[in-house]
Amino acid sequence: MDEATHLTARRQPLWTLLICAGAALIFSLPSLPPLFIYDHAAIAHGELWRLVTGNLVHLSPAHLGYDLAAFFIAGAIIEVRGYRLFPALCLSAATLIGVVLYFAEPAMYYYAGLSGVATAAVTYLCLHELTEKEAWRWLCAAVLAVVLAKVGFELAFGKSLLLAGAQGFVPAPLSHLAGATTALLLFVLERFPALGNQSGPVY
Amino acid sequence: MERTNGSLLAAFLTALLIAALTGAVGCATGTTKHATSAVDYLYPDTKDPLAEPGIPLLKLPLRIGIAFVPAGSESSGRGGRYGGELMPFPGGDLSLTEKRKQDLMQEVANYFKKYSFVKEIEIIPSAYLKPRGSFTNLDQIRTMYGVDVIALLSYDQVQFTDQGTLSLTYWTVVGAYVIPGQKNDTHTMLDAVIYDIKSRKMLFRAPGTSHIQGSATPVNLSEQLRADSDKGFTGAAKEMIINLDDQLTLFKEKVKERPAEYHFVRTPGYTGGGSFDPISLMLLMGLGGYFLWMKRRI
Repeated sequence: MDEATHLTARRQPLWTLLICAGAALIFSLPSLPPLFIYDHAAIAHGELWRLVTGNLVHLSPAHLGYDLAAFFIAGAIIEVRGYRLFPALCLSAATLIGVVLYFAEPAMYYYAGLSGVATAAVTYLCLHELTEKEAWRWLCAAVLAVVLAKVGFELAFGKSLLLAGAQGFVPAPLSHLAGATTALLLFVLERFPALGNQSGPVY
Repeated sequence: MERTNGSLLAAFLTALLIAALTGAVGCATGTTKHATSAVDYLYPDTKDPLAEPGIPLLKLPLRIGIAFVPAGSESSGRGGRYGGELMPFPGGDLSLTEKRKQDLMQEVANYFKKYSFVKEIEIIPSAYLKPRGSFTNLDQIRTMYGVDVIALLSYDQVQFTDQGTLSLTYWTVVGAYVIPGQKNDTHTMLDAVIYDIKSRKMLFRAPGTSHIQGSATPVNLSEQLRADSDKGFTGAAKEMIINLDDQLTLFKEKVKERPAEYHFVRTPGYTGGGSFDPISLMLLMGLGGYFLWMKRRI
């Protein structure tokens, strides 16, 4: 890891804070979740914003806590490191999650949670940092491996390692897969020579 | 003699004309009523003790059936008044055809489809509901279609036809063909009552009404009445759907206020959530801590 250049840059994680504040606000005001939650029937009737905003809705304090903590850590590091496509990553991941769930999980009438976007952020960060130095690289590789294993476990067994059942909802492994896929696609697009490296860390 | 024959012919033609005109005019006044009743269908024999409704256990998302209550032997096509006697209008039965019923049920189905608590909507053809079938018949529907809740639609339509001032032109014969001297009034009520079949509990109901006024010539009277009847059902359906929305909102409030009276079960997959697990989160926290540690070192 090129610590001297990467970590001295003074950048504020504004997008991360904004998204976390949005999720916290929606959770704290009971009138907001019904307007923003992913609602399959409402989307079918044209309320398309729910495809994206459903990611900001949470169903319990524990659900909110886990998701915000994960998203904040990954998002803050990404922004401090200067990856400028982070807002695009969040928006595209949120959209893809909504669209994938809509078509692939028609029996799921509601969906809520930022974990899909958090998975995208963690995957995106770790993929980029795999080229960095020693301990940091290995730590990122370990996190990436665990996240991918978690997605694979959820897809294979249809349940989460977390106590999701007790939170009043079933896990939606496709959301995590969609998030990881978005991050991978964006990473490949950035690293593709023809497109150029448009959002790498600012040295 | 010739004069006498001429007078007889004139008298005969006059009598014929009067008979024809009074016939045309006479056909054009009356009342018809077509009605079905959910009460007659569900509780046909009042001598039997009524089953006490239980506590509904609603499995979300719901599978809803929609059906028109079949006409009982006394409740449909009661006929119209013609010169003080009860008889239907010429032109046939003006009650709902099966095609029209299907269209109206589809409108109600489209209304329910927008709600996420609805999984499937089954439109039940009239042939599957027996007159005075009661809950036994509904249990059969429940088994056949796998529905938990049913929306029973019933209707009551009355049509009045009176002569207006313009009917005087019927004496010219041509007037009976071109002047719309008949005034028609069509009063329609469409009623939806939502029942949980298993518990026999009525969840809520919503009516819709309409009043159509029109005019017609005696010649196209039955055609115009059919058109008015159709418009009446369309208008009543629109109002009923608006009322369904209001009643559903009230029902939701009632459920919140009296949770002991309605039980809900959410089937797996109804609500999905994405959440991070503790292991991944702890690793991620380690990543964040290491990042901060490195940042401080520099």
